[in-house]
Amino acid sequence: MTKSVIVVKNLTYKFDDFIALDNINFVIEQGAMTAIIGPNGSGKTTLLKNIIGIYEPTVGSVKIFDKQSNQVIKRIGYVPQKFEFDRDIPITVYEFMALEKCGEAKHNQTNIHRALREVGLNDIEKNKLGELSGGQFQRVMIAKALLHEKEILIFDEPSTGIDIVGEQTIYDLIKKINKERGTTCLIVSHELNIVNKYANKVICLNKKMICSGTPETVITPENLKQLYGIGAGLYHTH
Amino acid sequence: MIRALVSGIFIAILLGWLGTFVVTRKMSLIGDGIAHASLAGIALALLLGWAPIPVAAILSVFIASFIYFLEKKTKISSDMAIAVMFTTGMAIGIILLHFYQGYQPELVSYLFGNILTINSNDLWNIIAIGLVILVCLFVFYRKILFSTFDPVGAYLSGIKPWIYDLVLYISTAVAIILSIKLIGIILVSALLVTPSAIARLFSKSFKHFTVLAILISVMIVFAGLMASYYLDLPSGATIVLTGTLLFLLSFVLSFVIKLLKKVNT
Repeated sequence: MTKSVIVVKNLTYKFDDFIALDNINFVIEQGAMTAIIGPNGSGKTTLLKNIIGIYEPTVGSVKIFDKQSNQVIKRIGYVPQKFEFDRDIPITVYEFMALEKCGEAKHNQTNIHRALREVGLNDIEKNKLGELSGGQFQRVMIAKALLHEKEILIFDEPSTGIDIVGEQTIYDLIKKINKERGTTCLIVSHELNIVNKYANKVICLNKKMICSGTPETVITPENLKQLYGIGAGLYHTH
Repeated sequence: MIRALVSGIFIAILLGWLGTFVVTRKMSLIGDGIAHASLAGIALALLLGWAPIPVAAILSVFIASFIYFLEKKTKISSDMAIAVMFTTGMAIGIILLHFYQGYQPELVSYLFGNILTINSNDLWNIIAIGLVILVCLFVFYRKILFSTFDPVGAYLSGIKPWIYDLVLYISTAVAIILSIKLIGIILVSALLVTPSAIARLFSKSFKHFTVLAILISVMIVFAGLMASYYLDLPSGATIVLTGTLLFLLSFVLSFVIKLLKKVNT
């Protein structure tokens, strides 16, 4: 039987009186590749922040490995949707990636080099973080999440700012890590085709949980209409 | 003069290093806020006949912690929190000084800085407390930088960012108070910000940035003190103007370097 890694139970989250998430329930199994989809403002990022413990649920609970998020936080890697910093601050890619230490001797300079190469970045360690393009920066953020071989990886729109070819590379890489290392992956994405191709479970969110299941059962015209309010769907290139 | 130089260089190292974190966090106003708010402590000490700097240092720890609390636990932004403390401290100080009878020459030296008022007690206080701050910065360097630059990443790595944020806020507050006799309440924040503003124009990495900011800070204080001594000018203002001059020169130089690089490519 597959072990449950993330259990979200009756989760409601409010910003003052505004309900951002309303009674969310789901379970993510070990080694799963789960995607969360939903329109802008549907609470996807808020849900991720509740999962990693930056926000505390107003009602309900989030358990990871049967514990509170903050007790197992070192086992989670997270790529945020936005990373705001002063681009004039002279910090190099290497310095940024070396900020986290985990005590593993193998996670040293060579590993930083390898993680960067895995996301398609070569000879970039000495470059200043503020001088990278949006796509390069996003890849550095992904490389940073891969560095310490976390058991759960959470990506909030990982392909933001990356072109179509780069997007494919990033998702192929996430899939590879998911398969080879057995890492549980949770991805927020707007790209229904990507979700359909890579995820084995989809959660549809619009403040409430609209539906969940395999991509084939969830990404249907009826569900998408309920979720986005218009005729969204998959497209095919011939 | 030796006492002034030693204390000045020690303060330059402290403020130069702390300034790199302060500038990275975009909270350059914190120096001004804490220094101005500390007028309340200095006025209270003068009124009661106590030593002003220790009273101001203790008060600054509370001010820094309170600014941090306002920032993190309420919806008040950093600049608003600093502005509220800044004006409240100044107002309390002015009201307390209203009850202080007669001419207040000592007060003027706290407001504008006077290197001649630094006695051996002040020098030893600057060295002892300064060493504690330097050791903290050295030991917690990576964690302070991590919490400063990527607080969410720091939290996910198991670090408690609030601890290192508070270490930085309190260290900055105490270092600012230690510098008041040299530069003065009105001008002290310049030495926190100007060296980093110059250093980041030429730095290739954060390590480089830190070393360069400290060296520039020492250079500004040394040149400023020398100019103040030989030209018989107020120490604080001369140090600040030396920094400004160096910043303007550096800005032009960095612009020329960028222009030359563009032409060559």
